Amino acid sequence: AVVSTQSGHYGRDIRLGDYAGKLCVIVDLVDQKHLLVDGPTTGVPRTVVRINQVSITDIKIDIPRGCKSKKVRVESEKAEVTSKFQNSGLFKKAEAKRSKAAMDDFGRFKARVAKVSRNRKIRSTVRKLKKSS
Amino acid sequence: RLPRFYPTEDKPRKLKNYQKSFSQHKRRLRASITPGTVLILLAGRHKGKRVVFLRQLNSGLLLVTGPYHLNGCPLRRINQKYVIATKTKLDIKGVKVPDRVNDEYFRRQKLRKPKHTEGDIFNTKKEVYSVSDERKEDQTAVDRQVLDVIRKLPEKKLLFGYLGALFSLSNNQFPHKMVF
Repeated sequence: AVVSTQSGHYGRDIRLGDYAGKLCVIVDLVDQKHLLVDGPTTGVPRTVVRINQVSITDIKIDIPRGCKSKKVRVESEKAEVTSKFQNSGLFKKAEAKRSKAAMDDFGRFKARVAKVSRNRKIRSTVRKLKKSS
Repeated sequence: RLPRFYPTEDKPRKLKNYQKSFSQHKRRLRASITPGTVLILLAGRHKGKRVVFLRQLNSGLLLVTGPYHLNGCPLRRINQKYVIATKTKLDIKGVKVPDRVNDEYFRRQKLRKPKHTEGDIFNTKKEVYSVSDERKEDQTAVDRQVLDVIRKLPEKKLLFGYLGALFSLSNNQFPHKMVF
C-alpha cells in the first residue's frame, strides 16, 4: 500500500510500459492511483505513472516531496540506488527471467542435459539411502 | 476507307519480358543462415534433426550434412523454407566440399520399373535405390572435416549430443517467443 503523507520516498521499479524494468524514484503522489516518478540516472523521464505499472522496492532516498530532477539525481547517486537494487531479489529474479527467455536452442539443450543428469544423481542417492535404511 | 495512320514498322514491337526462367532467378539466403550454422529441419524424412549447413547450391537449395554418423542425415539438399536457423555456428571455413557435389549430383534417379513381359511378372526384380559409392566417399570426406571442427571446441561432447538429439516443442514453448 502506498503511504500518502510520508516525506521519504521509495525507489520503485517500473514493470510495464515504455520503461519496463527500469528503476525510478517516487517524487510525489498525484491521486489514489497515480504517482509522479523520476529516474534521472536510469533514463526514466519525469512522468506520471499508474500505481499498478510499478512495483515498490525497499530502497528509500531522502528527498523532499516534489523536488527537482537534479536533486533526485544527486540524492540517488549518493545513496547508490542502482547498486542496491542490483543486489535485491527482485532484480535477480527479473534478470534470471530475461536470460532464460534469451536462451538459444543450444542453451536449452545444455540446460536440459544438466537438469537430467542432476536429477539422476539425486534419485540414485535417494534410492541408496532408502535401501540402506 | 483507307486507314488514317500507317505504322512505319512491319511488326509491332514486343514489350520487354521481365520473366526469368528458374536458372536465372536471384538466389536469396536468410541472413541468419551462414556456412557452419546448425539448422533444425522442420519437414521431410529428417524432420526434427539438427544438421550443419555447408553452402547454398546454384539452385538456391541448402547443402547440409548431419554429420551422418551423429544423426543419420547424409549430404542433402533442403529448402531454406523448411528450416530454422539456430544461433549455434561452427567455423567450417577450412572444410572443403568436393566439387562434384552440386545440383546435378542430387538429381533424382529414375529407377526402372519392371515391365509386364510374358510370364516374367514375378521374376523381374524391382530396382531399389541404393547409395552409390561416390556418395559414401563424399560423405565420409566431408563428415571427417566437420567432425574435426567440432572436436577442437571445448564443448564438443555437448555439441555431439546436440547434433544427435531431436528437436521438439513441449508445453508452454511457443516458437514465435523462442530464441533459436
